[in-house]
Amino acid sequence: MEKEAVANRSEGTARRSFSLSNLTFPLLPFFTFVGFFLLWPILAVTIRSLKGNKNEWTLENYRPLIHGSYFHAFVVSIKLASITALIGALLGGLFAYVIVNSAGPKLTSVLDSISAVFANSGGVPLAFMFIAAFGTEGLFTRFLKAVGWDIYAGKFTLFSFTGVVMVYSFFQIPLMILVFKPALQGLRKEWSEASINLGANSITYWRRVVIPILTPSFLGAFFLLFAGGFSAYATARAMTVGTVPLVPIIIGTLVDGNVISNEANLGDALAVGMIFVAGVAMSGYLLAQRRANRWRTT
Amino acid sequence: MKISLNRILTVGLVLILALLIFILPLVAASEFSFRGAGGKGHSFINYVWLIHQEGFVSHLLTSLQLALLSGILNLALMVPTAVLLHLKLAKWRSLVEFICILPLIIPVVSLAIGAQVAMPKFVQNSQYELVFFFVIIALPFTYRTLDTSLSSIDLKTLVEASRSLGASWPATIIRVIIPSIKGGITGALFLSFALAIGEFTITSLLHWDTFPTWTVVAAQQNILGAIALSVFSFVGAVLLMVMIAMFSNRRKSKSNSQLQEVAP
Repeated sequence: MEKEAVANRSEGTARRSFSLSNLTFPLLPFFTFVGFFLLWPILAVTIRSLKGNKNEWTLENYRPLIHGSYFHAFVVSIKLASITALIGALLGGLFAYVIVNSAGPKLTSVLDSISAVFANSGGVPLAFMFIAAFGTEGLFTRFLKAVGWDIYAGKFTLFSFTGVVMVYSFFQIPLMILVFKPALQGLRKEWSEASINLGANSITYWRRVVIPILTPSFLGAFFLLFAGGFSAYATARAMTVGTVPLVPIIIGTLVDGNVISNEANLGDALAVGMIFVAGVAMSGYLLAQRRANRWRTT
Repeated sequence: MKISLNRILTVGLVLILALLIFILPLVAASEFSFRGAGGKGHSFINYVWLIHQEGFVSHLLTSLQLALLSGILNLALMVPTAVLLHLKLAKWRSLVEFICILPLIIPVVSLAIGAQVAMPKFVQNSQYELVFFFVIIALPFTYRTLDTSLSSIDLKTLVEASRSLGASWPATIIRVIIPSIKGGITGALFLSFALAIGEFTITSLLHWDTFPTWTVVAAQQNILGAIALSVFSFVGAVLLMVMIAMFSNRRKSKSNSQLQEVAP
């Protein structure tokens, strides 16, 4: 209190130079909020994942994660995230390129809005829309059957790994458009002019200028997509009821109450395991981002 | 001449691809949602079913209410924070920025488990606890939007001018700062609203019932109805987004609309 008062008094003299406060006090609401609703829950789950049934410290909860079905779930989740992130990065990158180079500002902002909806509020509706399109009675399925390709002739179902890959790509691609577009917009005309003046043809320009410049952004976007695909819950939950073993779904089942008593803390360990995997991916993102920022002048 | 023809071909091909990937599932879902009873013919029967379904209105209202509250809380928390970071507390900026991407790193599933462990009982007993977590989930996007918006104006000069002309701090905030970042504020509000209204993961893991979780339950009785519901919410969201984008474009015909800055 005392300190504050002193600070406020000195504030008075500094007022003309528009200082609101020298204290970090104004940021207190923010730090309190994220501290309580973000950091504390994460800390709490980490601590509980390290506790045994008798409240003793132990690594026992993590044992199931390194072999057997839970390990397998991590493998499947990581595989799913990698494949969909790759599809999303490649196709989304292509679409972003076309949008940046060919669409006017009005069209761009409409496309942005659509991408934002597809990327962010997909979730449950997305799953049902795919069932409508590619389910056994879906419009697509019927159409493809009419032209002679019965997609259900083989083992394919929408509720398999391949099906989930298709649906996930549906939000990965627009996410890529949103994330990657600023990098493409950052490519300056001068660079292409300069390289052409120096005698480069367009292939050389791409190989020696564009690709090196865009690679960090592209990798960063890939990692971001990976983290998103790895953590996604809603879509998979609405589509598969445990047919594809994914870590988020398993955690969901544990939370829903079918818990065997000695596995009470297993959910915590799985949750921390997920944070770890997503954290590794995001470190990749941050590193790539730092590298990419070297080319940003503004 | 040849180059431009090539270009048109490329653009055309990509457009067709995009159409196949994005528009067709939507069209297929719409077609499906209009199918009549027993899958024969077409009618509005599924939409009628939907509206008469118990819980449709009440869950929609719950979701709207939670989304509105989280939008307001988000602004109340983040506008002063972002403004302060730009004005004065620059040394805290990288820390705040880092915290604001944490929700992207930490899987929502893990956050939900953590919430169950950490939140006191009185918080867990109210569905309004969701508001706080919706704000957390939207944090990366709202911070980014506000930050971009603040970077595009010369905040310091504006504030100095306002203060030296004798405006008080509240007047400066209300009449100078807020109007000049209106686009960012609208964008942030809308983003957090949109995220909150469609949020499923943490809602379902914390065992609350909102519109999205209700949809999944309803789908078990009538998949056609659930598809109708999905089309309804998707098209609604896209229309709303486009409207906002148009609106903010008219206000400020910048090439960078705020809404596109949803991802860091």
